[in-house]
Amino acid sequence: MKTPATFLRGLLAIVLLLPIGCVEPYAPDVIDAPPSLLVVDGFINAAGPTTIRLSRTASLAATITPPPEARARLVIEQQNGPNYPLTETTLGTYVSAANVLPAGSLCRLRITTGTGKEYASDFVPVKLTPPIETLRWTPANNQVNVLVSTRDDTGASQYYRWEYEQTWEITPPYRPSVEYVKLGSDTGFMRRIAIPYPTLCWTSNKSTRILLSQTTALSQDIVVDFRVQGLSAGSPELNTRYSILVRQQALTAAEYTYWEQLRKNTENIGSLFDPQPSQSVGNVRSLSADDASLVLGFVGAHSVTEKRQFISYEELPSNWSRSTGYEACLPPDTVFLGSRGLDPPSATPAQIQFLAFASQLYLPIDAIPNLSSAVAFTAKKRDCVDCRTRGTAVRPSFW
Amino acid sequence: MKHLYSLLFSLLLLLAGHGSYGQQQQPAKTITGNFEQVPFRQFVRELEIQTDYRFYFEAGTPPDSFRVSVRVSEQPLKRVLEQVFDGTPYRFALTNDYRVFLTTGTSIEPQLSTTFFRPTGSPPEGPVVAAPEDLTPTTAPGRSRYVSAAEYKVYQIGTGNGTGLVTLAGHIKDIKSGEPVIGATIYSEAPSIGTNTDQFGFYSLTLPAGRYTLQVRSVGSKNTRRQVILRGNGRLEIEVEEDITTLREVVIEGEKDKNVSSTQMGLEKLDIKTIKQVPTAFGEADILRVILTLPGVKSVGEGSTGLNVRGGATDQNLILFNDMTVYNPSHLFGFFSAFNPDMLQGVELYKSAMPAKYGGRLSSVLDITTREGNKKQFGATGGIGPLTSRLTLEGPIIKDRSSFLIGGRASYSDWLLRQLDDKKFRQSSAAFSDLSAHISHQINDQNSVYATGYFSTDRFKLASDTTYRYANKSASLKWRHNFSNQLYGVLTGAFSQYDYDITSENNDVNSSRLQYAINQTSLRADFSYYPNPKHSVDFGASSLLYNVSPGGLTPLNENSLVLPNVLAREQALESAVYVSDKIDVNQRLSVSVGLRYSLYNALGPRSVYEYAAGESRSESTIIDTVRYGSGKVLATYHGPEYRVSARYSLSDNSSVKLSYNRTRQYISQLTNTASVSPADTWKLADNNIRPQIGDQVSAGYYRNFKSNTIETSVEVYYKSLRDFVDYKGGAVLLLNPTIETDIINAEGKAYGVEVLVRKLTGKMNGWLSYTYSRSLVRANVGTPADQINDGRYYPSNFDKPHDVTLVGNYRFSRRFSTSLNFTYSTGRPITLPIAKYLVGNTLRVLYSDRNAYRVPDYLRADLALNIEGGHKAQKLAHSSWTVGVYNLTGRQNPYSIYFKSENGQIRGYKLSIFGRPIPTITYNFKF
Repeated sequence: MKTPATFLRGLLAIVLLLPIGCVEPYAPDVIDAPPSLLVVDGFINAAGPTTIRLSRTASLAATITPPPEARARLVIEQQNGPNYPLTETTLGTYVSAANVLPAGSLCRLRITTGTGKEYASDFVPVKLTPPIETLRWTPANNQVNVLVSTRDDTGASQYYRWEYEQTWEITPPYRPSVEYVKLGSDTGFMRRIAIPYPTLCWTSNKSTRILLSQTTALSQDIVVDFRVQGLSAGSPELNTRYSILVRQQALTAAEYTYWEQLRKNTENIGSLFDPQPSQSVGNVRSLSADDASLVLGFVGAHSVTEKRQFISYEELPSNWSRSTGYEACLPPDTVFLGSRGLDPPSATPAQIQFLAFASQLYLPIDAIPNLSSAVAFTAKKRDCVDCRTRGTAVRPSFW
Repeated sequence: MKHLYSLLFSLLLLLAGHGSYGQQQQPAKTITGNFEQVPFRQFVRELEIQTDYRFYFEAGTPPDSFRVSVRVSEQPLKRVLEQVFDGTPYRFALTNDYRVFLTTGTSIEPQLSTTFFRPTGSPPEGPVVAAPEDLTPTTAPGRSRYVSAAEYKVYQIGTGNGTGLVTLAGHIKDIKSGEPVIGATIYSEAPSIGTNTDQFGFYSLTLPAGRYTLQVRSVGSKNTRRQVILRGNGRLEIEVEEDITTLREVVIEGEKDKNVSSTQMGLEKLDIKTIKQVPTAFGEADILRVILTLPGVKSVGEGSTGLNVRGGATDQNLILFNDMTVYNPSHLFGFFSAFNPDMLQGVELYKSAMPAKYGGRLSSVLDITTREGNKKQFGATGGIGPLTSRLTLEGPIIKDRSSFLIGGRASYSDWLLRQLDDKKFRQSSAAFSDLSAHISHQINDQNSVYATGYFSTDRFKLASDTTYRYANKSASLKWRHNFSNQLYGVLTGAFSQYDYDITSENNDVNSSRLQYAINQTSLRADFSYYPNPKHSVDFGASSLLYNVSPGGLTPLNENSLVLPNVLAREQALESAVYVSDKIDVNQRLSVSVGLRYSLYNALGPRSVYEYAAGESRSESTIIDTVRYGSGKVLATYHGPEYRVSARYSLSDNSSVKLSYNRTRQYISQLTNTASVSPADTWKLADNNIRPQIGDQVSAGYYRNFKSNTIETSVEVYYKSLRDFVDYKGGAVLLLNPTIETDIINAEGKAYGVEVLVRKLTGKMNGWLSYTYSRSLVRANVGTPADQINDGRYYPSNFDKPHDVTLVGNYRFSRRFSTSLNFTYSTGRPITLPIAKYLVGNTLRVLYSDRNAYRVPDYLRADLALNIEGGHKAQKLAHSSWTVGVYNLTGRQNPYSIYFKSENGQIRGYKLSIFGRPIPTITYNFKF
């Protein structure tokens, strides 16, 4: 029976929590076939190679990543200065040589697509990004906050944007002693493992949130402890060792506004008092007067500074829980080769082995011996065994 | 039945009493004749020929066998009748309006025929042209116990000779509490002349001298009537009984046939009893939520009390609480309205044909009035609901002359949040309260004073380091003076303030407080003049001083690096004069013409930027900064506002009406969110931001059926709006010293049809409305950067073409009634994502043109059961329970649709605020 107190809570849950909690996925029925617009992603690097990715917009329903825009010619134009061409490395990715552009000079990116259409970004002044002063982390409220601080004594930077790339070690729970070798279309055999699976991998990903801060409302151009990343206690990233590389960019006011709008549109909409979405228009335009099609993206010109920080499990509060990210992989399955109980065997042990392991998506781990011959194998899907499905076994250079 | 007859008799005695002296007022015509065994009827006919008197008597009293033998020469009637009836059981009474009543003995015989009191003979000649009346009183069923003797008394007004026009004035008050009854109708049926009481319960009615039966009807009171003989100007104070039962039928009778006969159109009136019947989410009667069920009134979503009236923006409504402007009428994100229902008398919403008295907002006037407080005895009312409780006290200060009314309301949601397991909720808080007080005092017959104070505050924090707080503070003082029966004036001084602050204190370096405040001080004089029955004239003048602190960010402690950023204060003076006249051209045509002229001065001290002409405004196009000294005028706008409306009666129960009005608005709300948020600010017009101007033309057809118990109406309107504010994408509205660079002066148009059917009486009553309306915006001036959707018309945020609302009430018995509320509307427009693209490692969303798509339609049904306590009128305490279910079907109506980029994927979400049926229970009491 429910006590009055739980009843009260239940009532409260109905009355109070509903207003806050009722969020469900929504998929609009009709989104018209969207136009295929050119998207320019990247900035002109004032001290190093410039990387620009060109792609096209894709429909929201599309499962593939947006198609890259290949075979375009890109050039960085410096006003009253030289031009710096970019070359296509992989499809849709264009890279320049390591250039050095003087602060304050004006430059732009000019694009000629494979079909001959010409676009250019607005001329923007080159900004030099001040170094990151400190990058530190603190545990607070069951969470590790990674905090960045910077300053520009000249007061010229004011608008900042950060990106990060985080890397952490992963340790798979199994070290298989056997492997299945497929011979033909229906046969194969089990043997002692020839090349053991790696016991340690590293996995990385990049920031997806737009991290921005401006100091125009402060008396000094100083950012103190801006939180770039927060990891909750017990997240797999913190299982053994974690590293984060933070890249800092100083933006112009216009570029900052572009990113801020983009963030408002794609990250923040939905709480009670958030603004309405608005189209974020960048600074790239068609050069021909009769082509009014929209180009998405803002090409700024600035340098990048970066700093790396490591966090080891031993440094975290001792009472924090720990997780490997492999919790769902325990315990292992068992593949029986013979009959269990009274049912006559429906397949031979060889057939059972072939069916279970020939695809290599499901891996045997150890034989469970019974007298002389194995009657069963422990096994699990590849993702639980081979950590290369989640990262790389190659130790990163900075590790 | 016996009861009724004894009443009749007392009426006769009253009449007889009057007759005894009324006769001396004119030299009576005398009688000469020699009657020998004349049948009594023939005798009466002879007397009626020779005099102005009419005889009233029952057939058989005296019997046909009664014969008259008398010889008289130039004798007055009285003398003649004394002779005739001497020694008989018959008695007579003469009245001063030339009537003779005959009775037998001192009591009335049990078998009266239907011809009793039927007038015989022809009406007398003379100036009195009152229609012959059927004096047989008809008592309304169910009210005999409360029937007031006053209805049967004939009031003599004035001492004139009974020619020409006379003015009758006075107050209509509640008999129990002495409170004025506002908006009561008092009218004579033939000729059809009537008026309404104003906010003081005062009426002034000019009629040709003569005898009338004046009908008095009002919202929430029992109908009554008064019989008057008007000889000259005079006063008549009328007391009416409160209708204790919560039956809609009486409520609506106040409006009976007003729908058809009034010149006013686009007016919605609701009294507090109607408001209390409509089910709400948290069980508490909510005035704004009921307003939203009326045709032509919409909001962007539930949980928002921002009203969009006929395609107008939420800032285009003048919300008056006893003549004090209220800037934020909501509590707790808009789930509650900020008015204590127990304090209220009722509410009027003008959607078109705004009276000339009101101005300053484009779309509507929402006039909320409090009760005046019981002038006879102390009382308390209150209620206990799931989130809030309220208590209201009232009573006399000096009996019959002054009273107080004070009401408070507070939430305990803070306490409730702390009981929850989730830490997030325990760190949250949400509390609100409001307090209002009203004092009225009648100095003498000519002078009354009224004072009102209002305070409401909200504070909330949602599992974050940011605390929001906002408050309304208002006060008003009113002095009313009657110069004569035909002229009175009201002088009103009022002060209103709205302010908010947002405090952030997570981190020492960034800890700060953002503050905003607006206040207004106003003085106005309003006069009403009733020169003759064809005209009622209103005129007056007002002046209003705005003082705005547009925003300030200040550090909270010395460690904070936040630079104080306080925008300069803004001031402005808005003045207006107005005059309007309602002219009854003839029985069928009635016209109301008004002109309001408003003048606006934006005042210094202030620095104003000048921008390069022809370029999109931005900080880089500032060409000059002009500094204005204190009190210097930096911008002036002025113009006429026309208010015209007319009614033409097609028949007794149908009419057509037309109206045109222009309005000007010198202050705009800056809001970049879909719903009204507490961080919205109000901005005064200045050199760079022009005032908004709106024009509305509307026409309507009104028809009542079944003796005015079913009202139907169709109204169409077309509205055009100029220079209302819209925003460039991603506009920064807070702490922006160059706010004009983010604002676009847009133009809008709105049109629609509103169809309403109301069933007024009976066990089943309520209303059904259908509205088709569009509201479109266009921003096509300036450079392409200033245009939205390439300068084409696009639907406004609150463009919801179809809207059906049913508010129904079914009464099982006097104690049990149920209310059903059903609402359907087209989903509001939304800007949808149309494609995705890769920028900064993440898929981003490309949005469509503004408001190119719509959210799913809105559909909701609510049910409530009202259980009244016993109906003994003299009981010490009345109590009632309201049990209700809000959103009966549990439909998850979208409050907000939004898209998020999560782990590289774009997902759409629908946020429903009330996504399941919400049961509530509320206990109300009244001492």
